[in-house]
Amino acid sequence: MSQPEVYEVFARKAHDEELKHVGSVNATDDDLAKAYAWTLYDEERWIEMCVVPRRAIIPITHERRVPVWGN
Amino acid sequence: MEGRLAATTRPPFRRAITKTEDALGHQMSQHTTTEFETTAGMSDACARGLRQQLLACADTKLLLGYHYGEWTFGTPELEAAVASCSLAQAELGHVRLLHAVLAKHFDDDPDALVDTRAPEAFANVAFLDHPVEDWTGFVAMNYVVDLAVTRLLHAFQGSSFKPIRMSVDKMLDEERYHLHHGRGWFRTLAARDDQRATLERRTLDALSSVAEWLGPASEPGDAALVGAGVKSAANAAVLEAVVQDVSGLAAEVGIAVDPALPSDLGGWAADNRRIAGGGPDDEILFHLRGTKNEVFKLA
Repeated sequence: MSQPEVYEVFARKAHDEELKHVGSVNATDDDLAKAYAWTLYDEERWIEMCVVPRRAIIPITHERRVPVWGN
Repeated sequence: MEGRLAATTRPPFRRAITKTEDALGHQMSQHTTTEFETTAGMSDACARGLRQQLLACADTKLLLGYHYGEWTFGTPELEAAVASCSLAQAELGHVRLLHAVLAKHFDDDPDALVDTRAPEAFANVAFLDHPVEDWTGFVAMNYVVDLAVTRLLHAFQGSSFKPIRMSVDKMLDEERYHLHHGRGWFRTLAARDDQRATLERRTLDALSSVAEWLGPASEPGDAALVGAGVKSAANAAVLEAVVQDVSGLAAEVGIAVDPALPSDLGGWAADNRRIAGGGPDDEILFHLRGTKNEVFKLA
């Protein structure tokens, strides 16, 4: 069985709003991630919703790493 | 957009249906036809065929809603439970839309359609007649049966029968997530060695049931609907599209789905869309109708 992975869910309610992070789902593929995101986070009338596999997100800040400007 | 153009540039009861691409990427046919605000002006075969197919969609969605609702508990993961509950709500909402059209244009009583019809009068896909025993059966129902009724509704997109044309886009929009859920779980189960054979068997059962439901290629009511522009595709083409969709995904995940679809539909009845009669189990209808709580029903 393919292993589930975490997808982050982003959505917005109006065209002049920015996409915001609304939550995450665990799913074995993109199709299931779409279905789960749409059915789990349906409390608003979103005009746009999308999912991103967490593995596709490139971290910039890291735990335990001192920012370059930090002293 | 098309409706507004029709109102300003064309006589009131004629309109052009332009060539468009449906939500699943298929080109729809181009034709000009009479628009029907009601069934007045339709041939008897067309009006009869329309009621039969709308009722078939409503009954199938009613049973889908029941089974999805039942599977709100017992799913393999929490997200699937929430999804099942959501799919049930959507299907029951679609039943209300279709029942409203049946009530207004065919004098059907929505309460009677659910509560008092004999089981043999139900025109749902027969795959839904019995309890869905396992998750693999749920996935076959979700992917194949739900897809079939959605494909049939696609054929009503741009319909010359305005009341259904006004409702069908909302239903199709919501059905996209049913399809995502069905496809996702089909792939997931196909990747499991212990589920592949069962999935293949359930999928073939569901396809066979769908083929019976869509009926023989030469069905007169279906031909009348296509001829009047109420539908853009005959049920034979709808079945072909369903088989193509399912076979395509099955091939993608290494399952051979070569359905031996029923070739002899002798004895098939357009009213309940079955060869040998039958209908939903009594126990399913008992729960679906809320028989136990009949005393609490509002008058």
